[in-house]
Amino acid sequence: MSVTAIEEVTPVRRFTLPSGRSYEKVDDLVTAPLIEREAWSWRIWWIAFAASLAFTAVFVVSVVWVFIKGIGIWGLNTSVVWGFDIANYVWWIGIGNAGTLISSMLLLMRQRWRASINRFAEAMTLFAAAIAGLFPIIHLGRSLYFYWLTPYPNTMTVWPQWRSALIWDFWAILSYLLFSILFWYVGLIPDFATVRDRARNPRQRLIYGALALGWRGSARHWRVYQLYHIAMACLGVPLVVSLHSVVGLDFAASLMPGWSESIFPPYFVVGAMYSGFAMVVCLTALVRWGFRLQPLITTEHFDVMAKIMLAASIIMGLSYLTEWFNAWYGGEHAERSLVRFAFTGAYAPLFFAMLFCNVLAPQAFWFGAVRRSIAAVFALAVAINVGMWLERILIIWNTLSHGYTPSMWRLYLPTIWDWLTTFGSLGFFIFLFLIFVRLVPTVSMHEVRDLVAEEIES
Amino acid sequence: MDIDRRAALQLMASGAALALASCGRPAEEIVPYVNIPERLTPGIALRFASTLALAGYGRGVIVTSVEGRPIKIDGNPRHPASLGATDVFAEAALLSLYDPDRSKAVRRGTGVYSWDAFEAALRTQLAAERGRNGSGLRILTNRITSPTLLAQIDTLLASFPEARWYRNEPVDDDAARAGAARAFGRPLSAIPRLADARVAVTLDADPIGPGPGQIRFGHDFISARKSKSASEFLRLYAVESAWSLTGANADHRIALSPQLVHNFALALASALGATVPTGELPAGAARFARAAAADLKSAPGQALVLAGRSQPPEIHALCHWINAQLKAPVDLIEPVDPVPIGHAGALRALADDLAAQRVETLVIIGANPAYDGPGDLRLGDLIAAVPFSAHFGLYADETAMRCRWQLPMSHPLESWSDLRAFEGTASIVQPLIRPLYDTRTAHQLLAILHGEVSPSSRDIVVSNWRARSGSDDFPTWWRKVLHNGVVPDTAARPVAAPAVALAPIAPAPEPNSFTLTIAPDPSVWDGSFANNAWLQECPKPLTKQVWGNALQVSPADGKRLGLVDGNMVHLEIEGVGIEAPVLVRAGQPDNVVAATLGYGRQSAGAIGNRVGFDIFGLRTLDSLWVRTGARLSKTGASQNLLLAQKHFQLEGEAKELQPRTSLAELAAGKRLADRSAEHLPTLYPPYDYDTYAWAMVIDNAACIGCNACVVACQAENNVPVVGPDEIAMGRDMHWLRVDTYIIDERPGFSPVPCMHCEHAPCEPVCPVAASIHDSEGLNAQVYNRCVGTRFCQSNCPYKVRRFNFFGYADGQEYANLGAEVVRAAFNPDVTVRARGVMEKCTYCVQRISRARRAAEKEKRRIHDGEVVTACQAACPTRAISFGDLNDPHSQVNELRQEPRLYELLGHLGTRPRTTYLAHVRNPNPELGGPVS
Repeated sequence: MSVTAIEEVTPVRRFTLPSGRSYEKVDDLVTAPLIEREAWSWRIWWIAFAASLAFTAVFVVSVVWVFIKGIGIWGLNTSVVWGFDIANYVWWIGIGNAGTLISSMLLLMRQRWRASINRFAEAMTLFAAAIAGLFPIIHLGRSLYFYWLTPYPNTMTVWPQWRSALIWDFWAILSYLLFSILFWYVGLIPDFATVRDRARNPRQRLIYGALALGWRGSARHWRVYQLYHIAMACLGVPLVVSLHSVVGLDFAASLMPGWSESIFPPYFVVGAMYSGFAMVVCLTALVRWGFRLQPLITTEHFDVMAKIMLAASIIMGLSYLTEWFNAWYGGEHAERSLVRFAFTGAYAPLFFAMLFCNVLAPQAFWFGAVRRSIAAVFALAVAINVGMWLERILIIWNTLSHGYTPSMWRLYLPTIWDWLTTFGSLGFFIFLFLIFVRLVPTVSMHEVRDLVAEEIES
Repeated sequence: MDIDRRAALQLMASGAALALASCGRPAEEIVPYVNIPERLTPGIALRFASTLALAGYGRGVIVTSVEGRPIKIDGNPRHPASLGATDVFAEAALLSLYDPDRSKAVRRGTGVYSWDAFEAALRTQLAAERGRNGSGLRILTNRITSPTLLAQIDTLLASFPEARWYRNEPVDDDAARAGAARAFGRPLSAIPRLADARVAVTLDADPIGPGPGQIRFGHDFISARKSKSASEFLRLYAVESAWSLTGANADHRIALSPQLVHNFALALASALGATVPTGELPAGAARFARAAAADLKSAPGQALVLAGRSQPPEIHALCHWINAQLKAPVDLIEPVDPVPIGHAGALRALADDLAAQRVETLVIIGANPAYDGPGDLRLGDLIAAVPFSAHFGLYADETAMRCRWQLPMSHPLESWSDLRAFEGTASIVQPLIRPLYDTRTAHQLLAILHGEVSPSSRDIVVSNWRARSGSDDFPTWWRKVLHNGVVPDTAARPVAAPAVALAPIAPAPEPNSFTLTIAPDPSVWDGSFANNAWLQECPKPLTKQVWGNALQVSPADGKRLGLVDGNMVHLEIEGVGIEAPVLVRAGQPDNVVAATLGYGRQSAGAIGNRVGFDIFGLRTLDSLWVRTGARLSKTGASQNLLLAQKHFQLEGEAKELQPRTSLAELAAGKRLADRSAEHLPTLYPPYDYDTYAWAMVIDNAACIGCNACVVACQAENNVPVVGPDEIAMGRDMHWLRVDTYIIDERPGFSPVPCMHCEHAPCEPVCPVAASIHDSEGLNAQVYNRCVGTRFCQSNCPYKVRRFNFFGYADGQEYANLGAEVVRAAFNPDVTVRARGVMEKCTYCVQRISRARRAAEKEKRRIHDGEVVTACQAACPTRAISFGDLNDPHSQVNELRQEPRLYELLGHLGTRPRTTYLAHVRNPNPELGGPVS
């Protein structure tokens, strides 16, 4: 505790850290939970860990039960053949977008404030993408044959069917996951080296030393690292855009009313960024509180992230308007009928809740006081995440419940297993995140040190 | 032969694989054929003619048998009540054969006995009866048309002069018999020749609805509506008190209470010159009657009027008078059911005997009066009090539970017998399989009653026909009869119509309370099919309800009582009440609630027990089909009604989903235009179909909505039953559904199988190429490649794909459908699908393959009409055609030139191979009203 005693200092400039911080103090703040284990109180962590472990168990049981009984335990029906499975997948992959956006896009745009949050945003990305990657496998009628989606050599000489958006999806998730791991891990190397150097416990030295891959912090190392980092960021931006565009194409490359829309890829990318940022805000608030990182993560960070969410909410609103307008303007009966169903059908309450969460509520971010109130930003971010989940489930439900043939109009009735799988996956995500914060520096120390250096220079 | 290292390893591996994967030794001892039965080639199906009964009347069938087990029932083209087609009951009889709930052994109480034990007990009992001339012996049966069985009963009654035989069919024809007796002086049966009619009026009659004549009447009705000229096109007016298939298919329908239908008949008769009093009738109905009467008059010799079983005898008599005036195409025949006493009368006589304790020995053959007897008779209690009672039936049903002895009956597919059709034609029932259990046929039981030992039903039937055949060469005659399935020259000859007396008749008063009308159920008939899962899960034609029944009420009544679909009501008549869910349906007359028979069984079996509500309790002997004085009140409870389709109304542009046209529009040269799909741009290269290009054309105008195709498809393609819980989740497995839409208050049917699109939306979205296009244009589903992403169904605009959410046929079957014996019903040519895979209509690809094998052996192309899909074969009206588009002279190519042709959702560019011909109506211009 004593090492990281914190003085209340007000930031002198936007997006910089409280002046007077030294490299030493930054490192102390971040590495204390890792190397000062005994001094650091882990009580809340253990409580959270136990709770997340329970939910993880629920997730595991739900998945095992699906494998035993079949996907009939969900609320799927003959018309609405997709449900929570695909909605969860799209939602998680959306969450999985934000880390890379923060790391890559903001890096390329020289938004230096990202240094304080990018590490756990990237970790969030990794875990969310991994969970997202599970859902397409779990959702299969015959999950044991999921590998048939890969082009492996086989005696049947059958390859995947490349015209299917699900194959594009498969490659998009796979490449994105590989990219995220590389980007995240290489970004961690200098910080692992810092922990190694500061660790007093020989076991920690050994483990973090191995993870640091022999990083010495030489000028040559830094040069290679910077080049690599920028190059990966340049790769990351198109990748993240393509990933969610492909997810959008899962729907857009069909001919169902409400799906077959060319707006879907960009609209899905923005939606992903939107929900991802909202999730980052939630995690930022929790990490900042849990690890006492107030000196590194300031209200200015919340302010700027709120602005991004505000912009995204406006784009989402415009996208919705465009969809409705085109349904009317296109003149196709089924499309118009679908929009009418969204507003007046059985799912209308959820639809209005979604519009409120995604479009109306975030307009509060126009007010500076709201943006700088961490409680308010947190609450709205939770609402946005709920709203974005509703959006995903409604895209599926509305179209499949109200397709071209009225004789097959059917509603989706969620079962207990739908809910358990959904909340279980959330618990599993938190479980992974808690392990991450316990073992890995939560803030990118070397990037924050850069900021400190700049400040000292100025 | 050089064997290098690779080859050696390959051989070794294949040897090891063979050793490991070779078929395991079966758990029990099996014995292969040493001498294969004659004509049996493993894998080649044999087909035999037989006959199945509905309400006692025979319908000829051809049964397909594979290695000794029947797997499919088709119609017998030589049989006049089948003409090669089937109905749902005939198709589903197959599943009843393999029903695990069938009665399998002789039982008394809870003990299992042998037939010998029963026969010993019976001998003692009959010895006593013989002493008193059989005065304590009563036999109750359903309607019997079997000449052999009737002869046996006669013989038995001759040896027990004071014994009585009663026959009762829950779906009776008492009113028609009494009406004919009133009009002609004797109970002649009137058989309409619908095919010859130009104008028909039905008064609560449902000739094309479920019943023993449905296949024939449906066929005749549509064949009278094939013409393109109005002067040769049958125009049907339906006046009815509850929705029926006849009303749904009529050009004009008016919904009236049964009393007003009565008055309508009077108005019609008086417009045709009868001097009858006319009762109260709404203005619209009166106008309807005048227009119908004028139309009837305009077509002498081609116009007819039919009254239904719920109308009183006077109305039947009046119809005979009208038909006589119109020289109507109606044949009068001597009744096929020779018993002079009515069904209700027989039951009353039995009840009186039982109540007076005159019955010492009661033998019930097939009948189930404890369930389907009128509620006021309390037959169950009376039967339970009989000292010696035996129930002989397929199931240990409600009546069997109240009898001392429960005797198992052989299924018709295990039995020798004979039957007569509703119009008299006799045909033989021949067994396809040895009885699965230790069962007997009715012939054997009658012989046992007569004191014979180990009787053979074949001998009984053969000896009866040996006497009747009149042939010198009986073996040849018999073989021919068995082969054809029909006994030649046995149709009842029409008798010359005696002069019709116009009996005095009074108008019916309009009641001031609810009237309950009852009809047989389109899925379970009178309840005897209640344990058949195919039928329970077959959506009723107009409500689409499965696994249950409901009271239908009119929207006005629903509004008045605050009822919506699924609300429970208390229906009470003279102190007897039941609770039942309601369906609010437009087209139901106000103040009339309609119910169907056959539900609420207590001892039907694992499938049929406690499904729906039982309406038999509200019947009385005096009014079996219509009850006045009903009170309806909302209970506040609700039930989730299981409806396979929930949205029926089509409005605005959605009407294109089921286009309708009229004869007048067609005469004016109208073409349904949605063929633009052929010209829509596409990015896909065209397929090259250099062999065959299969296509289907479905004539909506010919679809009467009978569901035979739905059940036929289920039987042919091993389509599993999912059960009520799964239906409640919105899941079903029928590959073929009948979309029922209401446009301008008129329902219309269109069967929807897979469209087999040339540009199928399901194909490009499958990630593993399980949904593929084959070289003949079939959109094939490779079950063992499917991983179950369900993307294909998501993207199918027609939603014709079906997913195995559970192992519906693969270890997670509903109720007892996973029992070993049920698996015998599977068609070995069709894969039984596993859990987690998508399936759908294949155009009966196994039948195409069979035809291809036959053609290739003879080095020729498959002929047009050689491939007949299961739905096509079942259809009584020949609404479905199937064939090769590459054959320029094929029937499908011809039909695709019709002006009525349209593609379902053709504007999506899917280029469906299944196309439709639009509905045609022939409305009377004078009545105007909704035309389409």
